[in-house]
Amino acid sequence: MLSTHKLVNILQAYIIRRLFFLFFVIFGVSLLVFTIQYSYGPDRRAMLYVDSPQQAKDIPELKKKYGLNDPYPVQYVRYLKEIAMGNFGYSIVAARPVWDAFLHYLPITIELNLFVVPLFIIIGIWLGKQAGIKRNTTYDHVTRILAIIGWSLPTFLFALILLMIFYGKFGLFEPAMLSANIEAFILDNPDKYIKYTGMYTIDGILNGEFGITWDAIKHLFLPVLTQVIVIVAILMRVMRSSMVEEISKDYVITAQAKGVDSKTIFNKHVKRNALIPVITIAGQLAALSMEGSIAVEMIFNRHGIGNWLAHAALKLDTSVIMFMCLFMAVIFVVTNLIIDLLYAYIDPRIRLT
Amino acid sequence: MKTKLLWILAFCIAAGIVLIGCGESKVEKKVKVKNKDTFVLVEYGTLRSLDPSVCYDNVGRQRLMNLYEPLIYFAGSATDKFKPMIASEVPTVENGGISKDGKTYTFKIRKGVKYHQGGEVTPEDVVYSFKRNMIADSAGGPMWMLLEALTGSGVTRKNEKIIPGIFEKIDKCVEAKGDTVVFHLPTAYPPFMSILTYTSSIILSKKWAIANKCWDGNIANASKFNDPKPGYEPLKKIANGTGAYSLKSWEPGKQFVFERFDTYWGGKPQIKTAIFKNVSEWSTRKLMLHNGDADRAQVDTNYLSEVKAMKGVKTYDVPLLSVTMAFFCQNVDPRGNTSIGSGKLDGNGIPPTFFKDINVRKAFLHAMDRQTYKKDVFSGMVVLPTSPNIKGLPYHRENLPFYAFDLEKSKEYMKKAWGGKVWEKGFKMVITHNTGNDMRKAAAMMLAENVSSLNPKFKIEVRTVDWKDYTIQYRAYKFPMFLIGWGADYADPHNFVYTMMHSEGVYGRYMAYKNARVDKLATLGIQTTEPSKRKVIYHNLQDLWYKEALAVPLYQQIVTRAYRDNVMGFVPNSIDTDAAEDLKAISKK
Repeated sequence: MLSTHKLVNILQAYIIRRLFFLFFVIFGVSLLVFTIQYSYGPDRRAMLYVDSPQQAKDIPELKKKYGLNDPYPVQYVRYLKEIAMGNFGYSIVAARPVWDAFLHYLPITIELNLFVVPLFIIIGIWLGKQAGIKRNTTYDHVTRILAIIGWSLPTFLFALILLMIFYGKFGLFEPAMLSANIEAFILDNPDKYIKYTGMYTIDGILNGEFGITWDAIKHLFLPVLTQVIVIVAILMRVMRSSMVEEISKDYVITAQAKGVDSKTIFNKHVKRNALIPVITIAGQLAALSMEGSIAVEMIFNRHGIGNWLAHAALKLDTSVIMFMCLFMAVIFVVTNLIIDLLYAYIDPRIRLT
Repeated sequence: MKTKLLWILAFCIAAGIVLIGCGESKVEKKVKVKNKDTFVLVEYGTLRSLDPSVCYDNVGRQRLMNLYEPLIYFAGSATDKFKPMIASEVPTVENGGISKDGKTYTFKIRKGVKYHQGGEVTPEDVVYSFKRNMIADSAGGPMWMLLEALTGSGVTRKNEKIIPGIFEKIDKCVEAKGDTVVFHLPTAYPPFMSILTYTSSIILSKKWAIANKCWDGNIANASKFNDPKPGYEPLKKIANGTGAYSLKSWEPGKQFVFERFDTYWGGKPQIKTAIFKNVSEWSTRKLMLHNGDADRAQVDTNYLSEVKAMKGVKTYDVPLLSVTMAFFCQNVDPRGNTSIGSGKLDGNGIPPTFFKDINVRKAFLHAMDRQTYKKDVFSGMVVLPTSPNIKGLPYHRENLPFYAFDLEKSKEYMKKAWGGKVWEKGFKMVITHNTGNDMRKAAAMMLAENVSSLNPKFKIEVRTVDWKDYTIQYRAYKFPMFLIGWGADYADPHNFVYTMMHSEGVYGRYMAYKNARVDKLATLGIQTTEPSKRKVIYHNLQDLWYKEALAVPLYQQIVTRAYRDNVMGFVPNSIDTDAAEDLKAISKK
């Protein structure tokens, strides 16, 4: 048995080692994305600054101005130097530097995820567990159908259906982040509403303006519902399969034979073991949601990372795309680290080496 | 028991959804005027900069025209008549404001015009504004228009170096004299008045601009303020104009909020707050308009029928000063070019100069079924142009002949083309259009099908290319036939005719077309001030357009603007694009 002190040391060494590899991952990703965007050629990249045929005459000047004709190594070293200084370029679609735009849009996506991630994990695990236990019952069949619908229905279509029913038919849940009068209040009273986090639900509480928080929650209802229903389907199915597999193992039969009550077997033993693959999937889904759901953000008019990324991709705003690749690399490295730590926590047989 | 409950629950959900689907919308019954003094526009365009020396997009123009004002602007729906704005009267030859040689323009400056942040407009401010914007001259920006008119050079830099003496020319071209401002043009430039309506000609407060790191007023320092780094131009995010509305807030990519300027010289408008929201998804915009949460929604052509069927919505159809054509390139670059097949007239390709033969061009023109195109693609909602001097521009010829749809004539011309070799050997080529433009796609398909139907040996493929690549490639002479449009910078035929016909024009050059007579006339058109003489010149150019069969004119778009029916005051003007909105004219019942 390891002492607590030794365990903490192992844990620290493990985390430091994994984070050290982060630099290599970032370097690799930067090299890859830079090479991809470089392959577009100088004319194509200069076109970022051109919106109309009238402006096209300035392409040669734009190429010179931004050094787009320089050799590959020169441009890559320049890019690395810039990102080392925290300059990720300028986002044309956001009309501001990439880092500023990121800080502006990130809280909007995080706010959505603060509701979505816990909900899809809790609901997904619970529904999956129940379906696994009640295998081949009506409950299992109904959840299976719901899972198929949730997973196969495209997010944008599902979002549009919800919007048409709730907003189109009943005038509820306007596609925005706040109601017009609340937004007007914020604009008119900069002294009464200070932007601490950029998340209306939290800033409303911090400013003592609970009406803003409530209004923001109302506007989060449909986007959260859409995201949760779509994501929960896959998690539920993974959890179910994992539960079914665990239930059929010998230790469960032994426990049942020994007269251990079902609640203890399922909650204490089976669920714990069944969670291992679920954690991997849940972690990946949570990491992916940091990119923002493009369909949800666009349809419900939320100006977060997803909306920004969609516009950037359409306009080939390369600075944004390159930055987002780096950001997602960091997110996935950190998420995988957390998943590994959770493995060890849930199943003590797994060692961090 | 539990199973039964689950079935009952499932039935209730299904029944609820069916009832919701069948029932009449509660919102439809309830929609009422929301916030009578607030105007909400939902759109999808994004704004890059509020700096008038940089802003060269329709969304930016719209914002700037509500925040600032030029000396003059178009009167009502006219594109050749003006109303005074910062100027107190419109200069004419008759009132002495314009010299007889067309080289000197004198503007009397209106008194008592206030800026949003205090202070009144002075003639010095006007002079400073023009000089500052021309000195800044951002790459890809709009300043070429004023520079061309006032200095004779459309640029301040050549090969990344400042053109010697250019700032001295800028310094001398405009001056304040008492209560007036005088412009000195190197040569007569007829579209000058029209250019003065553009956002690059709006008036800034000199004191405020200098305080915000714009050009310091010293011409010796001009080069330091030339071509600012994109995104870091001094007036990018701030505004202090004289317009009827001031900038309340701007969250890029999300929304732009205007607030009424209560001491506006032209009287207080009804709308107190105007919110322009960026809503990219059409369904969301449509529902917001339907529910009355938006007073106007930007509509794309493919959704016109939906919006016209909506209750409580009023639509306006506005023909634009823009035109789309299918251009023939008369000297294609054959290197690695898949658009011309073998590059020879052997039945598997076309020679690079295929379209140099006028018979080929005429055959293509006769193969375009314009009426069907109008009916099927635009439901009749389009103007069919005959030349670059489109309807709405001065000197447009109503009765200009055109190549009517006639496949027999098309066949005849093809038989004559290249001494009969085209008909004998056949050909293979590609017509290219940019991705996402269904109107252009339909035209390309129609031309390809009709020409291919003339002879089984004719094979035409239609190819789609992303707009950015498309622009690069047509400029590299890669496409034998390319479809592209042009929107007016100013309401003068020079902006279209020179562009499409002159061998140095933006499109003329890439058609590889050179005709000394056309070049001479197109140049003469801009140098002549006498309207009767200009009329003759532009009529001649339109005749030449027909005779030379230079391109297939496709459509002059009509945009539909959708407002809630309680919104009043919109005045259509073909120079204004879909993004434009004159807030001071708008009111709500």
